[in-house]
Amino acid sequence: MAPVVEAAKCRKCGKISYPTHYYCPACGERKFDPLPVEGEGTLLTWTKVYALPLDYADLYITLGIVEMDMGIRATGRLEIDDPKTGARVRVRVGKVRETGGTDITGLIFTPV
Amino acid sequence: MRDVAIVGAGSTQFGRAQWSLLKMMCEASHDAMKNANLGDRKIDAVYVANMGSTRNNKMAGLSSALVDRLNLYPHAAAETIENGPASGASAVKHGMQAVASGHCDLVLVCGGERMREVNNFEATEFVSYLSHRYAEYVYGVTLPSLAGMFARLYMERYGIKPEHLAMVAIKNHANGAKNPKAHLRLEVTMEGLLTGPDAHMNNPWVADPLRFFDCCPVSDGASAVLLAPADMAAKFTRKPVLIAGMGQATDTHAVHERPDPTELTAVRLAAQKAFAMANLAPADIHIAELHDAFTILEIAESEEVGFFPKGQGHLALERGETKIGGQLPINPSGGLKARGHPVGNTGVSQIVEVVNQLRGEAGDYQVPGEPKNGFAINFGGFGNNVVATVLKRGY
Repeated sequence: MAPVVEAAKCRKCGKISYPTHYYCPACGERKFDPLPVEGEGTLLTWTKVYALPLDYADLYITLGIVEMDMGIRATGRLEIDDPKTGARVRVRVGKVRETGGTDITGLIFTPV
Repeated sequence: MRDVAIVGAGSTQFGRAQWSLLKMMCEASHDAMKNANLGDRKIDAVYVANMGSTRNNKMAGLSSALVDRLNLYPHAAAETIENGPASGASAVKHGMQAVASGHCDLVLVCGGERMREVNNFEATEFVSYLSHRYAEYVYGVTLPSLAGMFARLYMERYGIKPEHLAMVAIKNHANGAKNPKAHLRLEVTMEGLLTGPDAHMNNPWVADPLRFFDCCPVSDGASAVLLAPADMAAKFTRKPVLIAGMGQATDTHAVHERPDPTELTAVRLAAQKAFAMANLAPADIHIAELHDAFTILEIAESEEVGFFPKGQGHLALERGETKIGGQLPINPSGGLKARGHPVGNTGVSQIVEVVNQLRGEAGDYQVPGEPKNGFAINFGGFGNNVVATVLKRGY
């Protein structure tokens, strides 16, 4: 099964939250349906990080915040050589970190 | 509620410690108690501010260890406050509340952090634990990367140039060079940081658009204040400083969830609460220590707390209004940028610096004109837990 990153859609008011909260930030409801983070969005801001924590052998990694068309914002890795704010991007889920031999999957944004 | 005074203050040298964490905290506490002519009076409670001793120094229950080393047992209560980089001012706030309520008379608040006991990768990793575990941390998000993404948005929206960020560093390094306890006592220039031929060698990227000199150093250091009811302050000092107001506010954990990610809502709310408690306004403040872990934050915070209109902090900086000798000196101690940022201690150290300024005891970096009201912002996480403090000369 392909890995997914899930947002939470409120069963009462329909608001989508990412990451999840115990109560819906809009209406206070506690029940949610999982909703995969998918599709396209617009790059809000980004950075190339050169001072990396443990687990990274890269010279730098590129991170960004994307406004997804599905109605949430998400932070993730950018696989974009020359990122520009306002650029259209598409999300996929893949390996974003390897720690102690374990792969961690997450959101990766690529150019549209 | 009783009025609460700071009757003693002390700090160690910041930088790479020659002492253990506990020894640093003893030295700062000793300075604060000696400064207050404490004699053999009993301390009712000790609040310790620290973020990483369990991970970085293999020590837990730090406040219990401190009361033992200082021989304050068995009478003193002892607690450790871990509130990320806002631990320091949080601990002062708890001490203030204990004295204000009448539950305690004499309270020692000591912040201490020894981050250089681990290597830089470990330190970066440790601080990145502040980010949201599943929505930020797993991607390699660190505090500088959150600051980098914030800076890009903020700079685009308000027309802030890299030169403005460098101006914060130049000002705070110039101030820090005059502070004998600062971690980085070196002056820097625009040529060295941005415009000269070797600028990129001196000042490489950390998290684009932030460069090395836009970020605070990783520091060791300890600071302490002694609190007493204002009506008892004369027993300890001729120069009490009143805690006129404190305010605290919080925000979403994941930065991307904020309705406008360029707004530091918790900074604004914490400041409003502190000013309301003090019955003072931003225009009444004569000196401020802001949480410039990254240069962009000094500019943004100076706007959010109400010193300058939104989008105009960098213009006030450019006009020199925030230098020592300007209308509102910001970070005369050098700030986190040059004085250093021993994370859990920072909030206490900012308050010690404001106390020194209000007492007229800041030496070469004293703000002229006998400042009466001071202010500090202690910023936790990436703005998701913020404590604001208004201090007032009490004599």
